[in-house]
Amino acid sequence: MMNLLHISPIHASLAVLLFPLAAFLYQALRGKQDQSGIVGLLGILLSTAASAFFVFFPIWQQTPVEATASWFTVGKHTFSAGILLNNLTVLMQLLVCIIALPVHIYSRVYMKGDPGIHRYWMYLSLFCFAMLALCVANNLLLMYVFWELVGFASYLLIGFWFTKDAAVQANKKAFIVNRIGDIGFLIGIALVYAHMGTLNLSELFGKQSPLFEQIPLWHTERWMTYAGLAFFVGAMAKSAQFPFHVWLPDAMEGPTSVSSLIHAATMVAAGVFLLATVFPLFNESILLVIAIIGTITALTASYFALAQQDIKKVLAFSTISQLGFMVVAVGIGAWNAAIFHLVTHAFFKCLLFLCAGAIIHEMAHAIPAAAKVDPQDMRNMGGLRRFMPYTFILMVIASLALAGFPLTSGFLSKDSIVIAAFEWAVERGGTYLIIPIVLVLVSFLTAFYIGRMIFKVFFGKPKLWSDEKVTVFHEAPKGMWIPMAFLGLCSLFFVFSFNPISHQNAALMQGLTLLTGFQPIDSLHMFIPIVLITGSAIGWWLGYRWYVQGKYPFQENNAWVQHAQKQAYINEFYQFIIVRSTLYLSRGLYWFDHYIVDGLTNGAASVTRAVGRVSAWVDRNLVDGLVNLVAQTSYYAGHLLRWVQNGRLQNYMGFAFTMVLFGILYLVLR
Amino acid sequence: MIPITHFLAVSACIFCIGLYAVISKRNAIMILVGIELMINAAILNLVAFGRYDKADYGGQVFALFAIVLAAAAVAVGLSIILMTYRKYKTINPDQITDLRD
Amino acid sequence: MDLFLFYTFAFLAITSALLVVSLKNTARALFLFFIVLFAMAGLYLFALADFVAITQVLVYVGGVLILMIFAFMLSNKELLSDLQDLSGSFIQLPNWQSLALSLGFLGLMGYGIWQWDQAYSPSWMEQNIRTGQIILSRDNNINQLGMLFMSRYILPFEIISIFLMMTLIGAAHIARKGDEA
Repeated sequence: MMNLLHISPIHASLAVLLFPLAAFLYQALRGKQDQSGIVGLLGILLSTAASAFFVFFPIWQQTPVEATASWFTVGKHTFSAGILLNNLTVLMQLLVCIIALPVHIYSRVYMKGDPGIHRYWMYLSLFCFAMLALCVANNLLLMYVFWELVGFASYLLIGFWFTKDAAVQANKKAFIVNRIGDIGFLIGIALVYAHMGTLNLSELFGKQSPLFEQIPLWHTERWMTYAGLAFFVGAMAKSAQFPFHVWLPDAMEGPTSVSSLIHAATMVAAGVFLLATVFPLFNESILLVIAIIGTITALTASYFALAQQDIKKVLAFSTISQLGFMVVAVGIGAWNAAIFHLVTHAFFKCLLFLCAGAIIHEMAHAIPAAAKVDPQDMRNMGGLRRFMPYTFILMVIASLALAGFPLTSGFLSKDSIVIAAFEWAVERGGTYLIIPIVLVLVSFLTAFYIGRMIFKVFFGKPKLWSDEKVTVFHEAPKGMWIPMAFLGLCSLFFVFSFNPISHQNAALMQGLTLLTGFQPIDSLHMFIPIVLITGSAIGWWLGYRWYVQGKYPFQENNAWVQHAQKQAYINEFYQFIIVRSTLYLSRGLYWFDHYIVDGLTNGAASVTRAVGRVSAWVDRNLVDGLVNLVAQTSYYAGHLLRWVQNGRLQNYMGFAFTMVLFGILYLVLR
Repeated sequence: MIPITHFLAVSACIFCIGLYAVISKRNAIMILVGIELMINAAILNLVAFGRYDKADYGGQVFALFAIVLAAAAVAVGLSIILMTYRKYKTINPDQITDLRD
Repeated sequence: MDLFLFYTFAFLAITSALLVVSLKNTARALFLFFIVLFAMAGLYLFALADFVAITQVLVYVGGVLILMIFAFMLSNKELLSDLQDLSGSFIQLPNWQSLALSLGFLGLMGYGIWQWDQAYSPSWMEQNIRTGQIILSRDNNINQLGMLFMSRYILPFEIISIFLMMTLIGAAHIARKGDEA
């Protein structure tokens, strides 16, 4: 079979990109006539097949392959574009395909009947193309192009229901925050090009390249720090790290299927992917900054998630928190653990979102249109496990994976990060231990808030309707729960490792080996999982007690709950400090412009005008005066002579006789 | 026997009066009258000199021709005046300025 | 006696002519022009040109002047009112340019006549006076003129006849009322 269809991985990878692009172009041309999205689904299906059979398996654990073509030339510098296939890139590409495929299938049911569905399919195909290309680009500049393109597709999809004001505000916010990160990325590219003379990833970081050997030597240089910071800023905005996380909760205004694909599984992970790609660039201090930022993000996001009432907001903050975990993993040097967690997280978080989408879908159908009830608000749900058993089971699996219980994929990847963090901190000692301890705390919080969500949604009694009218509520359609079931399968341990306890045996970890600078501590491998499981179990038990048994200990208006629900007033803070100060600055600049700059300009204009007036006077009265004098003289002379030509016969005759008289006088007096 | 100088003096007077009429009058008929006065002055000169030419009678013959020509000129002139009046509704030459620039 | 009569006629002619050009009333001026022409005819007699004098009376007084008055009288009312501007003074004030030009000519001619009288006289006049070839008062001028018209001046006579006829036809044509005029 493989020999029969022998296609080079490069061509196959190109095909993986081109299927969604073709689907996008087709749907863009067809416009409103294409409602079904079958073309987009077909495109991603072909892409998945090609990616799995012709790219992933030939490349994984084999020699990396690269193909390059010259792109454009500026002066003497030629930029190339190409495809780089190594373990990391093929893994990312396959992941995007595998996540995108169920989302496409799910969307066919979920988005059915939406008036703008043709746009939805078009944007989704565009996103897939850009994301797949971003994964395999071999050049930082090319990567930047697709980085922008995924951002643009995300912008379009967040604002998909553009008649909703909140959606428009959200996509604007996402776009603007991402701009900050993009500037960082661009500065990083510029710095790298200025000092290295190339943007090609394999030339920069490839193992055969001499530059790779030199990079650690340059870590002491200042530009290296700046470049690392710039790249990290780019990744921060894309991966919604504190303090640039504000756009992601608002981005939930988009369709839930989009949130699951773009804002949970793939695009937001692109920041972590970028960090892993340019990892050799980071020196010690930058890595520390990365670790700290990741920790803060993980902590604050899980804290905010505790009190959210919107089911999608809970998941959004959970995403931010988990991305914080990944960033911490990069910061401590264990980027393989980060990628591992990225992959597992992609599956279970996507599943969580799809389940949430199914619930919202059913809620929206069950709630009468007249009742102005938010279908996403968890306070309106409850007791759904009787009506939606499949969704319930799948969501519990995903939640357990998120909380890090054994036999799930999340257990493996999360433990790998926490253990690596402990090893790293123990190596350095002292205050560095704060970071792994915070991570453990965050794990507990995660277990609690996801348990809270499960209990609030599926247990208890339905809030909005009495038991007699349960017929309006039923299980999600087949087209939705089958893709969800596939993702649920992928959230279990055996996909990644046959040993449900040890992450070290996971195939992914073996594919992404790296030499960490710290010693493995065997005792931790036993101790940490036990602590985590115990903490998580306590979290779930607390959730069960509080939300199912109704022993909620806090007042309705508890300050901490309010604080967490309002996301620590960060949005208000931005509104107050940044937006307001920008407005004031603009106003000040306007004043400066209006009074100082314009004043100077107007003053100069007045002086010029006065000079102009003087010269005009000179011109008019002296220069023109002379000219006019001549002109007037000739005019008067002409007028005098013209008067003779007045058409009066008698005058003519009089002149004639006068001339005769003078002639005779002349003759007489001569 | 009146000296020829006297005739010439009277003729000059009449000629100048005719000239004045031609130039100053604001009436086409009076201009015509002025022309007739000048022709008469000329005829007077002709007959005055014609007295000294008994062989050819040149003065008197051409005086007669001049009278005939003057009569013809008056006839044509009057008809022109009528036509002018028909076209311009005036016979004041000051108001007929088609020759103006 | 001759001289007295001559000056009477001369005075009559000059005064009437001055009045003709001075009067505002065209009708009166035309009647005064009548007198001027008669006086001129009288002056011709003193130049021994009796036939010319008769022709003058016949052609001018009987023809030209009647034509003028006819044209004047037969014209329509607007023409009359245009011509008969009776408002203002009885005598039109002379305008100074025309007066200066006329006086200039008068002075020049007077000077010329005076110069001529003092120093110069044409040779043919001297010769004719010496040989007695001048017209005398007892000569039959009409006979002589008739002979000359039919012999020596036959060509100008015929030309002037045809010319006169053409003129009259032309004048009649021009003055005719009609669309094509």
